[in-house]
Amino acid sequence: MRFIGKLGNVCIYDDSQNEECPDFEFHAGSSGGYGEFTFVYGPSAGGLLESVQFKIRTSGEQILEIHADPYFKVRHISLSGGIDDVALKVERINAMFSASHSIAFLLSVERSLDEEPDYETQMGRIVELELERVRNHLYVLHKLVDTGALGVASYQLQAMQEATNRVIGEACGHRYFFGVNSLNHVECNFEKVDLRYLKRFNSFLNDLLENRILIDRFQNNGKIDQDWLIGPTARASGRKYDARYDSGSLPYKDLGFSPVIERSPDVFGRFLVRGEEIMQSVDIIQEAMKKWKRKERKEVKVKGTGEGMSRLESPSGDMVYRVMIDGSKVKASFLPPSKANLLFFLKSVIGTIFTDFPFNWESFGIWISEIGVDTG
Amino acid sequence: MNWFIRGLKKGIQTEREPRGTPQWGSALKVNKEFKDCPTGATQGGWDAGKCVFCRRCFPDLSPTGDHRMGKVSRTEAKFSRSFYLYPIDVGTCGGCNAELKLIASPQYDMTRFGIFFTNTPRHADGVVVMGVITEGMREVLRETLEAVPSPKVVVLMGACAISGGIIGEKVDVDADAVVPGCPPSPNTILDVLIKVKGGKGW
Ligand code: SF4
Ligand code: SF4
Repeated sequence: MRFIGKLGNVCIYDDSQNEECPDFEFHAGSSGGYGEFTFVYGPSAGGLLESVQFKIRTSGEQILEIHADPYFKVRHISLSGGIDDVALKVERINAMFSASHSIAFLLSVERSLDEEPDYETQMGRIVELELERVRNHLYVLHKLVDTGALGVASYQLQAMQEATNRVIGEACGHRYFFGVNSLNHVECNFEKVDLRYLKRFNSFLNDLLENRILIDRFQNNGKIDQDWLIGPTARASGRKYDARYDSGSLPYKDLGFSPVIERSPDVFGRFLVRGEEIMQSVDIIQEAMKKWKRKERKEVKVKGTGEGMSRLESPSGDMVYRVMIDGSKVKASFLPPSKANLLFFLKSVIGTIFTDFPFNWESFGIWISEIGVDTG
Repeated sequence: MNWFIRGLKKGIQTEREPRGTPQWGSALKVNKEFKDCPTGATQGGWDAGKCVFCRRCFPDLSPTGDHRMGKVSRTEAKFSRSFYLYPIDVGTCGGCNAELKLIASPQYDMTRFGIFFTNTPRHADGVVVMGVITEGMREVLRETLEAVPSPKVVVLMGACAISGGIIGEKVDVDADAVVPGCPPSPNTILDVLIKVKGGKGW
C-alpha cells in the first residue's frame, strides 16, 4: 500500500482511503544555536517564476530550518456548478499540468456516472498527457541547466519546449489544452503531431551527462529517500511508483508501459528520470496515436447522483480528483502533486547550502499555482 | 560534443517573422451574435481583454489567426535601445508566466529587439503584471511598482490581469499596455512589447 497524500481530511492510498489524515506543515529542520540568522526569499524574486516565500534559517552556509508560504497568491476558485463551467476553471488551476487536471476531473465525473469513455478517447487522453509530460520535463531540464549557466544547452532545451508547445497548439488549437477536453471527447487532431525535433534527444542528454560542473551540482544535492514519495522523485529513488502503472485509470498497459527508475535519490536522479521519460513518452505517443481515432463530440447526459474518484500520473506525480454529482451539478476537490513535492523539497533542503538551493528547487517540478487554490 | 560546436551545428533557429500562433490564441471575428459568453466578452462586438478563448462561441465567433490583439496606450522611446522588464505574478495559473519566459527562446530571441528580463524592480524599465489580484500580493505589487524608477511602463498580461477572466478580480492599476490572451502567445507578447518601446510591432 502506498501513501499518495491528503485530500480534504482524507488520507489517500493507491488502493484505499482513510479518514483522519494528519496535517502537513510546509516546514522542515530545526535551529536555535548561537550566530544563526533568518533571511527571506520571495514572494516576488527574479529567480522564482511564481510567487512563493521561503524563510531560511542558517548559521552562514548550511540551511538549518526552512518555512515555505505558498499562499501569497492563493486564488479562490469555486469548483461547483455545471460540468462545463467547472471544467473551464479546472484547466486553469495549473496551465503546465492542465491536461492532467482536466482529464483527472473528467475521469472522476465519468466514474460517478458509470460512463466508460471510448477506447479511442482514452488513447487521445494518453497522447495529451504524454505531450504535457514532454513539455514539462523539457522545461524542468531547461531550468536546471540554465541554473548551471550552460547557455547553449539551456537555449536548446527551451527551443524544444517551444517546439512542443507549437505541436500541441497545432494539433489542439491551444498550447495548454484549454477548451480541448470534455466528457468522452478530446478536441485534437493528433495526425498533425510531428516529434522529429526530439529524434536526437538521446545524444543531447548524453552530452549533458558528460558535463562535470553540472553533475557536481546535481549529485548528492537534495537527497530524499523515504517511502512516501511520488512521481519522478520516487522513481529517482528506485521506487516503481507511477499512476500510469498502478492506477488503471487509462490503458497504459496496452502500450507495454513500465516506469523508468534510477537509484540516485537526489537532483541528479530526478534529472535523469525526467530526461529518460522524455524519450519514453515519445514512444508512448507514437504507439497511442496508432490506436487513436478522431471522433465527433457527442452530448453526454449528466443526471442522477453519484461520487467518483480518479488518480493519474501528472508530470510531477500522482494527481487525484474526487467529485460528487447531484442532478446536473458537480462539486470537485483535488490533490495536486506539487503539495507533496513541496514537502519533499523542504525536507531535502536541510543540510544543503544556499548555492545548491535553486538546483534542488527546480528538480522537483513544483507549481505553486496548484497549491494556492482555495476551492471554498 | 563541445557545446559551442553543437550550438553552431544547430544553425540559426531565430525566426524572421511570427510563426506558430495557435488558433485559440488569436483575435476572434464576429460572424453572428452570441449571448452566452462566460465572461461577457461578446457584449457589443468582441472584447479581447475579457476573452478566455474557451471556444463556446464557435462558430458564431471564429479565430482569425492574427496574434496582434494587444493595445498600447503610451509608448516610451527612452527604452528603444534597451528595455528591462520585471515580471510579477499576482495570482496566475502559471500559463502567463511560462509564455512570457518563452519570448527568450531561440525562436523569438527577445534580445535582438533590445528586450531583457531583470531580477530586481530597481533595475527595471517596465513591469509585466500577470494573474488575478490576490490579497497576499496586493501590497507586494504596490511596493514593486513603487520600486521601479520613473519613467516606467506598466503592462497587464493575460485575461486574468486585464479583466479577471473567469478566475477572479482584475488588477486595478493604470496600464500603459495590455496583452490579451489566456495565455497570450509569445507572438502577441512580443508585438506589444516592441510597440511599447516605440517599434512597429511583431
Ligand atoms: S471564446 Fe469564450 S470567452 Fe471568448 S468570446 Fe467566445 S465564449 Fe466568450
Ligand atoms: S490569463 Fe489565463 S493563462 Fe494567464 S494566468 Fe489567467 S487563467 Fe492563466
